[in-house]
Amino acid sequence: MFLRVVFAEMEKIFKLHFFSFRVLFWTLALPLGNGLYLYFLYLPFAAKSVDLEFYASPFTLNLAGFTLIGQLLYSFFTIMLIAGADFEREREQGTIEAVLLSPANRIAVLLGEALAHALNYVWLLIGILLSWVFVLNVNVYVTDFLALVLSIALSYLSLVALGMCFEALFVASRRGGMYATALQEPIMFLSGLIFPIQSMPRALLPFSYLLPLTFGLISVRLTLLGGASIFDVAVPLAALAFMVVVFFVSATWFIRHAERDAKKKATLAQF
Amino acid sequence: MAIHSLRVVAATAKVYFTITWRFSSLSGFALRFFAPIMTLGAAWVLYNQVYGGAETLSPEFVNAAGNVSYLSFVTIGNAFYVFVFAAAFVVGRVMFWDRAMGTLEATFITPMSRLAYMAGVMVAAAANSMIDLAAVFVIGLLFGFQVSSFNAPLFFSALALTALALFGIGLIVNAVTLSFRDRVNTANTLMILFMVFCGIVCPVELMPSWAQTVSTFLPLTYGIRLMRVSLLGTEAVDVAGNLVALFVLGAVYIGVGIVTLRLIERNLRKKALFSVF
Repeated sequence: MFLRVVFAEMEKIFKLHFFSFRVLFWTLALPLGNGLYLYFLYLPFAAKSVDLEFYASPFTLNLAGFTLIGQLLYSFFTIMLIAGADFEREREQGTIEAVLLSPANRIAVLLGEALAHALNYVWLLIGILLSWVFVLNVNVYVTDFLALVLSIALSYLSLVALGMCFEALFVASRRGGMYATALQEPIMFLSGLIFPIQSMPRALLPFSYLLPLTFGLISVRLTLLGGASIFDVAVPLAALAFMVVVFFVSATWFIRHAERDAKKKATLAQF
Repeated sequence: MAIHSLRVVAATAKVYFTITWRFSSLSGFALRFFAPIMTLGAAWVLYNQVYGGAETLSPEFVNAAGNVSYLSFVTIGNAFYVFVFAAAFVVGRVMFWDRAMGTLEATFITPMSRLAYMAGVMVAAAANSMIDLAAVFVIGLLFGFQVSSFNAPLFFSALALTALALFGIGLIVNAVTLSFRDRVNTANTLMILFMVFCGIVCPVELMPSWAQTVSTFLPLTYGIRLMRVSLLGTEAVDVAGNLVALFVLGAVYIGVGIVTLRLIERNLRKKALFSVF
């Protein structure tokens, strides 16, 4: 039953968003545009590489790879933010009561939506990555495939779990779209997307460590561009695994709380 | 006719100015500055933390930008971007919102000049954008922005000519958003185009040649360059050439914009699409 709900939600999202201007913009135009913008931000400086270190010896990364690959992961994060606003749309459409009246497991609904958005991005992500490697000559240097696979998988899962949290939080807020937009720039800054995390002002580092994107960027950049081994990225991988659990449990609690609160105050259908 | 059009411009500007401030919210106002603050913050970290000062700047940057402060260079680019964002987005969505609110039919029934109506919106948007522009300069002071000279005639000429070019771009975007019912993606893609290729964070001369080719067709490239000259006193820039290029491109965009405005009106009437949403 749980899996059937997940698949049904995924089918619904695919039918709505599988190939649309919105998907094209968020997955093609945005990462390339933002990636180039960040790359150009570095051009006034004489150095053409970036040192990245996190509880291990520093790795020197190619500038184009650092900015563009970072953007791919950030775009995935943005997709999950938007997925968060999607559940709130059920209320706008007047279908949220019907969804919550059904015996469908709420977590299965959230998981289905988040997974569909995530999978919808993957096929484009692979194409974009290959085109950047061959057309824009982004240098990829992988020595430990297990470390790379784990980095991508854990980043993926932690962002899906975070997407579920956003869905559960935004549905109670009635301002999901605005929050999804407002969070983008602060997260871009705090996650170390634009510059290496070791250069982040110390006062802001605690906020950076709350974001799975921070650890995802470190581990994916190091394993995909710097040839890092699993031991080099052990700390960020452990942090990502921890976040998968924390966000999943939080999402479960948030959605139960939102539903209980809405039923108590009879505010579910009010918009 | 000309006086009537001026009255339309003034009336529309008044309406849009009133709407903007009557329904303004602090969160909406703050959201407009997230992107420039992030860029300024990132430029500050790159300059001070990652690389460490003026001696780490490349000779190519010094040659292309003149002997100016990197943070001042980025601040001006961002202030200009906010001006563009505020002005182009408003004009680009006028008729989309008119249709959504059900007022498009009434607007087109009146005998007023459509161009004057759109110009009125642009006047209000440009006036509001000046507030954003000034706000980013003030924010820039916190990140190390310094004005080394102020050439007022050049500054305001660059702003006025850029606003004209933006008006043309806004007319074209307005046609696209109305025809394709796409409020977000067209405008956002255009903004990324401006953001990346106009030289906001680095001189155009430092970009790859294909990116420089794209930038020559964007009027904002010349507007930003002129604004930097007017505020930083850069000597390595051909002011007259950039003014002419900005004027010509502005005229071309306005010409194309007027044609698209007429085409969409004809299309709306022919297919009875005024109130279809």
